Amino acid sequence: MTALTQRLAGYRPSRFQLWVGALAGVTAIGLVAGIIVFARGLVVTNLNDLVPWGLWITIDLSAIAMSAGAFTLCAAVYLLGLKKYQPLARTATFIGLIGYSMALLTLLLDIGRPDRFWHGFVYWNPHSVLWEVTMCVALYFGVLMLETAPIFGRTAWLRSRWPSLAGRLQSVHHIAPYLAIAGLGLSMLHQSSLGATYGVLKARPIWYRPDLSVLFIVSAMAGGIALTVLVTMLAARHWSKIKVRDDILDRAAWFVGWVLVAYLYFRFWDAFAMTYTYDPGRTEGLRFITNGPLSFNFWVGEILFGAVIPILILLRERSRRNPVLRMLALGLVVAGIVAYRWDTTMAGQLVVVSYLPQELATRYTTYVPSLIEIASGLGVVAYGMLAVTLGIRYLGVVDHTPEPEHEAVAERVPAQA
Amino acid sequence: MSEPRLNRRTFLKVLGAGATAAAGLRTLRRASASEATGDSPHRWAMVIDQSKCTGCGYCTLACRAHNDVAPGMEWNTVLESGQVAGEQVYLPRPCMHCEQAPCVDVCPVKASVHRADGIVMMDYDRCIGCRYCEVACPYAARSFNWEAFTGRNPAVPRWGEPEVARRPRGVVEKCTFCVHRIDRGLSLGLTPGVDPNATPACVVACPTGARTFGDLADSESNVSKLLAGHSWFRLREDLGTAPRVYYLPPRAEVTP
Repeated sequence: MTALTQRLAGYRPSRFQLWVGALAGVTAIGLVAGIIVFARGLVVTNLNDLVPWGLWITIDLSAIAMSAGAFTLCAAVYLLGLKKYQPLARTATFIGLIGYSMALLTLLLDIGRPDRFWHGFVYWNPHSVLWEVTMCVALYFGVLMLETAPIFGRTAWLRSRWPSLAGRLQSVHHIAPYLAIAGLGLSMLHQSSLGATYGVLKARPIWYRPDLSVLFIVSAMAGGIALTVLVTMLAARHWSKIKVRDDILDRAAWFVGWVLVAYLYFRFWDAFAMTYTYDPGRTEGLRFITNGPLSFNFWVGEILFGAVIPILILLRERSRRNPVLRMLALGLVVAGIVAYRWDTTMAGQLVVVSYLPQELATRYTTYVPSLIEIASGLGVVAYGMLAVTLGIRYLGVVDHTPEPEHEAVAERVPAQA
Repeated sequence: MSEPRLNRRTFLKVLGAGATAAAGLRTLRRASASEATGDSPHRWAMVIDQSKCTGCGYCTLACRAHNDVAPGMEWNTVLESGQVAGEQVYLPRPCMHCEQAPCVDVCPVKASVHRADGIVMMDYDRCIGCRYCEVACPYAARSFNWEAFTGRNPAVPRWGEPEVARRPRGVVEKCTFCVHRIDRGLSLGLTPGVDPNATPACVVACPTGARTFGDLADSESNVSKLLAGHSWFRLREDLGTAPRVYYLPPRAEVTP
């Protein structure tokens, strides 16, 4: 007994255990908050009829944007033939799977009738961009499950218990090029449609422009690859036995820098064109972003730290080769794109355009998420981080060593069939 | 490893053909998505005379009672809208029942639909509560049930009795032009807009007769005549939504 207490007293959890414990704790709190949301309804949020969408939709949009590394890197590997990025694509696919599951969880929180989540698959309105997003996200989630099947099939645990199932899961990698095409198609559709979800609404002048769909998909490509490289580098720094190839990480980070240049270019013309001629609601919306309550987020979060500084770091070879600077830049990219999603969501709703005939007066409203919204939202984020951490630790999601297993599987599966 | 039977080129071709066909079908549907399907001899519309409206709010109360609208929610709101010749002008705002309704366009599950007679209807059993329609509506005509309405309705019985079921928590609702009164009235051979029992509750309740309801398809109907004899406007005409709610502007010489 005393020996046990002594052992407990002398117990020092490792950094990994502390990290997992903290994430599990936040996830548990989020779970409780989520149960409260389901039990009491959306009255526990600070959303209202003027601002029906808030923090959750931002998490949802961000999670999907951060999953964009999957389609980009899979397309690079399987369609453009850049085979050396295959291990990075695998990491991205797993992050994508987790990211989309986060988005689905947040959507479940956000809709008033989660028990009717399946209605979109049965009652079609193909004219609705949101319907298209629903279908594409669901189908793409299926594609991601197939794309990550080899990761699960590779685990020693599964291979020792159900070798034939493990073999089947691993053999899915043979259809990877087709999955990459399907993933590219579906992602091109819904990543941009998420921007169009806002972009097609004439009632919200600051949103009503086709550029949003382009900006959403380009920023998602930057954010998705950035997160994939960042996670890979963090994993390799923490576990020395995880071997990564720095040349492909360096190249991918360089590519993120160029995607950001393209993004800034589109972003500039998009914003610049809106400065000409007073347009009721739109002009106010733009001012709300550049000079108003969102201006710090915009200039500092999105433009300076979210794009300009990362571009400078990632496109200069010396600074990019510095792992700390590179990780900093990638982290800033991720944060900047989350800020972009938040600012876009807010600008369209906090600027309220009047429909009264006398004047096109614009009113302003505010929104601060409630504690329950924050707790459940953080819970979803913590779940995602936990799942990726465990994936790295137990599924070998980050692993750049050449894989001999595939050959062995390829020989074994036909023999069983 | 055996070669896949389907090579990449064929796969791409099939995928491309499929995508083109799907896009084509979508475009074809697009032209008619927000317009009514089916046939109806009627085109229901409401005319609101701002020069007669005193802002008393009886319409809101009658609506609350007849449609069992929760306190804190208003299907039919009365707004202050500037002054003419020193007099306060009011603007009552029901659902506009737009001919090109943004809410119908964006609903992912077709829970917001057009009836053939032009009424924009909510299917409460189908709505998933995503609130995209609320975000899309330029007139803020929609309300979400953030919580269940369980208490008593303060407008009942003084302003009428509920004629429709309460909506559950988690769905969006809005003015229906009292569709239940219209449909029931028609089945009894009554004329909506003429017979009070077949006319929206707000129109019946208005003490100054500022509201008129009727059939635009009938050139002899009260609404058709009113619109023919007056200058009128609709809200945010610039958006191209083509509302079915018409306003007669306030006039300085008319004192209510």
